[in-house]
Amino acid sequence: MDVIQIVLLALVTFIFAIDQFSLTEILYRPMVACPIIGLVLGDLNTGLVVGGTYELMMVGNMPVGGAQPPNAVLGGVVAMVFAVKSGMTIDAALGASIIFAVFGQYVVTTVFAFMSGLMSKADKAAAEANPAGITQVTVISMALMGGLFALLAVVAYVGGEAARDALNTINDNASWIMGGLAAAGGMMRFVGFAILMKIMLSNDLWGFFLAGFAMANIVQNIEALAPATLLLLAFIGVAIAMFDFGINMNIKNRVGSGQGGASDGI
Amino acid sequence: MASKVNIDQISHYNDLTPAAPLSKATLNKMTWRSLQLQSAFNYERMQAAGWLWGILPGLEKIHTNKDDLAISMTHNLEFFNTHPFLVTFVMGIVLSLEQQKADIATIRSVRVAAMGPLGGIGDALFWFTFIPIVAGITANMAMDENLMGPVLYFVLAFGLQMVIRFFLMNWSYKLGSSAIGALTKNAKEFTRAASILGVFVVGALVANFGGTTTRIVFANGDSPISLQAQLDQIMPKMIPFALTMLCYYLIKKKNFTAVKVIVVLLVIGIVGAIFGIWAGDYTPLVEWYTLPKA
Repeated sequence: MDVIQIVLLALVTFIFAIDQFSLTEILYRPMVACPIIGLVLGDLNTGLVVGGTYELMMVGNMPVGGAQPPNAVLGGVVAMVFAVKSGMTIDAALGASIIFAVFGQYVVTTVFAFMSGLMSKADKAAAEANPAGITQVTVISMALMGGLFALLAVVAYVGGEAARDALNTINDNASWIMGGLAAAGGMMRFVGFAILMKIMLSNDLWGFFLAGFAMANIVQNIEALAPATLLLLAFIGVAIAMFDFGINMNIKNRVGSGQGGASDGI
Repeated sequence: MASKVNIDQISHYNDLTPAAPLSKATLNKMTWRSLQLQSAFNYERMQAAGWLWGILPGLEKIHTNKDDLAISMTHNLEFFNTHPFLVTFVMGIVLSLEQQKADIATIRSVRVAAMGPLGGIGDALFWFTFIPIVAGITANMAMDENLMGPVLYFVLAFGLQMVIRFFLMNWSYKLGSSAIGALTKNAKEFTRAASILGVFVVGALVANFGGTTTRIVFANGDSPISLQAQLDQIMPKMIPFALTMLCYYLIKKKNFTAVKVIVVLLVIGIVGAIFGIWAGDYTPLVEWYTLPKA
């Protein structure tokens, strides 16, 4: 066991784990990350091949719309450990790493749920007009995410194949935990919507909320339009808003110039 | 220490004198900070903390009154989610409104209306068009053990997003500043119109981002009945709509904190999975119906 390798692997994984959401959002991609891990493990060429292969696998499996795809950081680390250290073929290593990528996705879901707790610290900093408090919240969050993934990378390095078997057992026997976490993760965004509604939704605007919901339903059920749903909806929303603005300006100007109501001679 | 802010009762800043325009250096600093948009991502408010951190250099220059800075920081910590590479567009517009000391309701509505649609545009342009093309070219180089593959990939992908970030920040700040004069003259009407747009977009977000479905099927001879298909006949996206209303009810009427609502949803998610209610590839603890073989 090579201590320097473990430390370096933990370090680069720490950075990739943060990079998958912040920083460049490019460094963590298998195409770049796997060659770097290859350098750490002493086999750059395997890193290049695994990276290229994994990157192509990931095309069409992107972090869109807030959904969590199988985690490329953990998947990449484990694929490299299996390919370089366990001497698996590249295809076998990629195949064996999938369960870790899926597991990594639940790790991220759980971290995102727990990090909601940090928002009360951020609220306090905001109420006190204390910018340093906001910086702290972002730093703590990044350190948590990076540290957790660095730890998992070390586990994968030390006991990769044992960890794979353990994960498969959990997945077979208690898959409802993973299923429940995934379902709850998908529901969390409703909290954010509800907070916005509490702030913005005065009683006379309910109709516009329902109209937005209905229009989005209509547009996204037309296959050709679905990807552009929110942009098209924004156009419609702008039209409604401008119309409302125009009407109200008209009323205001007429009142202002004394031409309102009966004096119009209608 | 400033007094605690109750944002619901504040409609405008104390100091309504427009601040000096932000310098190019400040705008550039915030563009670099925009890279950390998702650093404190969480399910309660998504990118809110990273968003606030990104625009803080500007807010500190604009709001020299400490109470105003507290108000601005508080309302900029509300739920925020957009495409990371396009966020500077929202930043520029919001900062131009902050600089002119627009009504808080106006700033909020513009922020929500701008952030929603950008997500879809960014995904379509970047993840579904640009990256697949770049990956297609460079992956083959990497598989031939050519180091230029990853280097080219990084330079192209990171370079493009930085160009976009800088351009959008400067452009949208100018855009906001030039439009604002006419808007502040008719602030009340504009705020109402912006709120309509914001509320309309939130309604659309519920339908667009809400993905919760059920997998329950009722045995019925050869043609089992899917509960989700039945619900879709009444109204598509009924479960996301109902869950949003539940959260709204708990927060607005029962004064739940967001963290409490998150715990409620965690319980609903896991208990639901025990009974096999929610869709997904898992085996429920209590199996009271049989899933048809795919």
